[in-house]
Amino acid sequence: MGEKKKDVVVPSSTTDGKDKSKDDDEKKSTKTTGKDAKPEIELSEEDLQLKTNLELLVQRVMDSKAGVAKLALESMRTEIKTATSSMTSVPKPLKFLRPHLQTFKDQYPTIKDATNKKLLADVISVLSMTDSPGENVIPESLKYKMLGSGEEVGFWGHEYVRNLASEIGIEYHRRADLEEGEEGVTAKDKEVDDLMKLVKDIVPFHMSHNAEPEAVDLLIEVEKLEYLIDHVTENNYSRTCLYLISCSSYLPEPEDGIVLSTAHKIFMKVNKLCDAMRVALKIGVQSTIEETFLASKDPLEKKQLCYILARHGHPLKLDEGPCEQEGDDAEELTLIMSNSKLCENYLTLARDLDVMEAKLPEDIYKTHLIEGRAPSGPAVDSARANLAATFVNAFVNAGFGHDKLLTAQSAEGTTGEGGSSSNVSWIFKNKDHGKMSAAASLGSVLLWDVEGGLPQVDTFLYSEEPLVVAGGLLAVGLINTNVRNDCDPAYGLLYESVNKDNSSVRIGAIMGLGLAYAGCQKEEVAELLTPIVTDESTPMDVCAFAALSLGLVYCGTCHEESVQSIVQALMLRPEKDLEDPFAHLMCLGLGLMFLQRQQEVEATLEVAKTFPERISEYCQVVLDVCAYACSGNVLKVQALLAKCGEHRTTEESTEEDSWKLDAQSVACLGIAIIAMGEDLGRDMAIRSYDHLIQYGDNSVKLAIPLGLAMLHTSDPKLEITDQLGRLSHDNSEEIAQSACLALGIVGAGTNNARLAHQLRQLTSYYYKEPSLLFLVRVSQGLVHLGKGLLTLSPTHSDRTLQSSVSLAGLMITCFAGLDMKHTILGKHHYMLYYLFAAAVPRMLMCVDEEGKALPIPVRVGQAVDVVGQAGRPKTITGFQTHTTPVLLASGDRAELESGKYIPITSNLENVVIMKKNPAWEEEDAKK
Amino acid sequence: MGNGQSLPGEGGGQQQGKKGDQKQKKKWVPPTPPERVGKKKKKRGTVSGAAGGKLPPIAPATKCKLRALKLERVKDWLLMEEEFVARQEAEKATPRDERDEEERSKLDDLRGMPLSVGTLEEIIDDNHGIVSSAMGPEYYVNILSFVDKTQLEPGCAVLLHHKHSAVVGVLADDADPMVSVMKVDKAPQESYADVGGLEDQIMEIKEAVELPLTHPELYEDIGIKPPKGVILYGEPGTGKTLLAKAVANSTSASFLRVVGSELIQKYLGDGPKLVRELFRVADDMSPSIVFLDEIDAVGTKRYDSQSGGEKEIQRTMLELLNQLDGFDDRGDVKVIMATNRIESLDPALLRPGRIDRKIEFPLPDAKTKRHIFGIHTSRMNLSEDVQLEEFVMAKDDLSGADIKALCTEAGLLALRERRMQITHQDFKTAKDKVLYKKKENVPDGMFL
Repeated sequence: MGEKKKDVVVPSSTTDGKDKSKDDDEKKSTKTTGKDAKPEIELSEEDLQLKTNLELLVQRVMDSKAGVAKLALESMRTEIKTATSSMTSVPKPLKFLRPHLQTFKDQYPTIKDATNKKLLADVISVLSMTDSPGENVIPESLKYKMLGSGEEVGFWGHEYVRNLASEIGIEYHRRADLEEGEEGVTAKDKEVDDLMKLVKDIVPFHMSHNAEPEAVDLLIEVEKLEYLIDHVTENNYSRTCLYLISCSSYLPEPEDGIVLSTAHKIFMKVNKLCDAMRVALKIGVQSTIEETFLASKDPLEKKQLCYILARHGHPLKLDEGPCEQEGDDAEELTLIMSNSKLCENYLTLARDLDVMEAKLPEDIYKTHLIEGRAPSGPAVDSARANLAATFVNAFVNAGFGHDKLLTAQSAEGTTGEGGSSSNVSWIFKNKDHGKMSAAASLGSVLLWDVEGGLPQVDTFLYSEEPLVVAGGLLAVGLINTNVRNDCDPAYGLLYESVNKDNSSVRIGAIMGLGLAYAGCQKEEVAELLTPIVTDESTPMDVCAFAALSLGLVYCGTCHEESVQSIVQALMLRPEKDLEDPFAHLMCLGLGLMFLQRQQEVEATLEVAKTFPERISEYCQVVLDVCAYACSGNVLKVQALLAKCGEHRTTEESTEEDSWKLDAQSVACLGIAIIAMGEDLGRDMAIRSYDHLIQYGDNSVKLAIPLGLAMLHTSDPKLEITDQLGRLSHDNSEEIAQSACLALGIVGAGTNNARLAHQLRQLTSYYYKEPSLLFLVRVSQGLVHLGKGLLTLSPTHSDRTLQSSVSLAGLMITCFAGLDMKHTILGKHHYMLYYLFAAAVPRMLMCVDEEGKALPIPVRVGQAVDVVGQAGRPKTITGFQTHTTPVLLASGDRAELESGKYIPITSNLENVVIMKKNPAWEEEDAKK
Repeated sequence: MGNGQSLPGEGGGQQQGKKGDQKQKKKWVPPTPPERVGKKKKKRGTVSGAAGGKLPPIAPATKCKLRALKLERVKDWLLMEEEFVARQEAEKATPRDERDEEERSKLDDLRGMPLSVGTLEEIIDDNHGIVSSAMGPEYYVNILSFVDKTQLEPGCAVLLHHKHSAVVGVLADDADPMVSVMKVDKAPQESYADVGGLEDQIMEIKEAVELPLTHPELYEDIGIKPPKGVILYGEPGTGKTLLAKAVANSTSASFLRVVGSELIQKYLGDGPKLVRELFRVADDMSPSIVFLDEIDAVGTKRYDSQSGGEKEIQRTMLELLNQLDGFDDRGDVKVIMATNRIESLDPALLRPGRIDRKIEFPLPDAKTKRHIFGIHTSRMNLSEDVQLEEFVMAKDDLSGADIKALCTEAGLLALRERRMQITHQDFKTAKDKVLYKKKENVPDGMFL
């Protein structure tokens, strides 16, 4: 059979080759029928035939006649190309041809005919796929591909292209690593034009065959991401960009920036400006953000962009500068950008979910559910209990505009002669500094409601009690948190009080300013506060709050003037002042300015080394942590981990030296802050914390609960609450305290029943520890933050972005938690109000073109990571259908149920503008 | 601490630990109960808890740069952990050992000797439970604080103190010894090379069983879920078990082999339990392949039956159904079944999702027959006149096993005549014998 076939294939064979192959054939046939066992596996008849055939072709290729060789080559190519086999084995032709690879290679230079030479090169290139590449030489497959006929890359199939792409990567790096000036290395060797030509062939192939990740991989390897932009279409941009963005969190600098800007350009190209804006915010360059904003021509899209910017806490100036807007829209855009509608939207959500009714702290405590000893009865420490009630009330009724402790009475009271007298009644149930928090709590109840809220607070400002005035000032700040009004009432009300004599009043005003203008970079605030920071005669606490406010207002901007002032203060203050616990908060204020700025912190870091010893190390750690917040930078984590691992307490060490431990606490917290940017780091940081719990000293362990809280803010995962539950029973009071607070932050605004139960158990457990009980109460309040409508999590937009203002607010609270004795459990419990800088409704609200809420059915479910998956995988799992507005828990994602409306942005979070889909037909209408 | 009054009349479990608290400022009560989910928890692998828990999953399973980067990142973190732990251990190497020793001896004191073994019947609260022992009565006893509560679950074997029967330890629950027998430790000798023909079948079984375990990314790439299991069916002697052996020979996954009849047990509920155990063990040892031979022993169609035995067998099958595609994901466990009588199997067993591929093993065609003859005669001493082609081309329904029997028979005949070579005549006689034996049950013409 073999014989016959041979003749058919090559009729004009030369005798010499034929004989030889005949012999081969004969040998084979004897082998197959031979009785003695052979080591090699016997081939079936067809295989054998194929093998002989191919061997013959190999012989033909060597033929001196160009025509013969060409024919042989052609048929060999068809043979290879048409070979189909299961994925379980190597295609048979390749298997049989592989032994001849070396022959081909040896033969290659001797072939004269140009076409044949190229064809042969192609075949060699395919066959070389099976060879492992050698060291320091160009990979064979690639080498022969470039010598080959330059046919389409996809000719030999995917596997081949993939192999080629990986070889290009290897070769590119090999050439890049070549040192010029070394022996035999010239500039020419480093040129990569030939490779780039091939890359330009491969990328479109990948892009048009649903293999975007591979195209991106190749281009990252050869550092030519710009090629990508040309090949992105409507169909594949989302997959490509998703992959790019996911990669960016794991790439080292500066590659991550390049990847992100490529994603940005792609989004710009396909005109998906909302996505582009998100990437721009991730890049964090002002000009890119502005450029993206200006690229939008559609008024609806502009509005959506404003919503995104508002959520991120990165407002643009629309009345002047590069983003100046004209026409009627400008006003509305400003309104959106300044979050003015936040209150209204939030109340719509609350009404929709029917949670408008105010709650008393007792409704939260639910003492009747506690078995055994309840902490009720004669109050353990009535002042503390009242203070706790104040905070719980403030957190639970945040933003609803009315409650049962402060405003309800005033409503009744107003029938008499004005609110103030009866209002005061609850406030005066608090002692001393408690009054300040009580008065300020009104601000949180009226959160975001600038127009309706300020008149109610006004009465406090004229009180005779300085502490009530201070609380009132703070309330003004709280009302304006994250909301800006064109009348700018906060500044007007607050600036005078900043330089009053009473330090509580000053703190109230300063903190109020900080909250009201968080992230706004308002120049006036800097002008007002920098003198306070630099003035050596200001008390340390006032100075620290001024620094914090500066940090909030200029968070993540590296504002030079403010940085200078704090640095100056830290350098010039006498040693004794730096011993004050508030010196730490000054460092934090400094750090916040460099939030997420990474390398820009270097100069200040150098300066920090020259600070007095007492503060120097602490400040350096804070700066590092702030600058690399959410970056996932492993090197920084390593340094921090090493710091945590030191055991600084020796037997000789005394109380005096305890300050040396503070830097360790921050380092430990810092691990969480750096790792919180992406999920992988989050999980791994939790693992590291396990080790720290095992080996760390108390100063380190103290920060672990707060670190866990940072990692899982408003995301009460079972393992986290379990761990915190264990820590909240720790022998060390400090650790237990921070764990109690952390439980609140982890569950903030989730109404998590399990956590609520856990906290109730803690209240009965700590019923005799007033300070721990206070913290547990606060946590109970936090769990029901805004009756479960608010979240503290700074991450948004599918967990890709971190709002720096929210982050700053959280960080301040956590830093305060590191030193409870002097802050939250001392006289400065109102520092808890910094949490409101991070509070936002965790909602999805659909609005129509006019900005009215639209009830639209949406599916809400657990988000699934679909990066790099084939096809169109489901993005959510375990979903339920709701009608907007709906609440989104952490890790949830929403998608529209029907195609009736088209969202302006692909990312359904916060407020989304909907357009009617013109192509949509009602089901009924079709019938 | 303003509140000096103690609340009288309080007792019970919760408060016991707190009795002494009133005196000191710092009180200690055992931490909140850890979850008691037992095995389920182990499977899920919580991140926190014991260090060395499972690592976070890496999202795209396809080979790509993102995956490489993510793995790299995880590696970095792990290296940091290692560095940290190593340094810490180095710093306090000696004191730690001493302390450990001290603690251990203390623990032994608490446990006491000898220990009795009991079964945990019920967990009442964090530190109390009901235990029973072989002796008879059930006791309400303490669970000591050092017992790993995550491993406690009703029904597990526990160590009891010899005097007051408090729970002082958990015995790692070993799998049913029946199941451990099923594991194939020594790979069978038969490899794919020993299978004559059946190329398509080999390919199908490889695609369905081996590749999903070795190259899951291929399936992810294309966006499909790999098949969960296959059933091999066909005439007796066509090589179903042989192929399964070949799979066991070539795979590095753990291979569990059960015969359907093994699943039928004497006592009610034992059969289904065995099935559960089997799949649990398979999951523990995953990636693994479960081979259920002669599945018709339990998998026949359901029908109304009065016999308790029948019902039990059907219940065993129902458990099997559940294990194959039930509520819990089985993960990396592949199932191969083999049967002669696919038509008598319950349709529920064969539906896609449980068994995604049905692979038929037909009687060998001429080519395959030739191959099988080749395999079996390759080590035989044949005389020149043997014409195997005659048997290959004959129209008899020869299965692979028949061919083997034929060759063996021919060899025996030659031996009987003390010849060193097997002649064609031997083969002919052998064939008659074999075919006669095969048809013995159904004499020709009986039903005509």
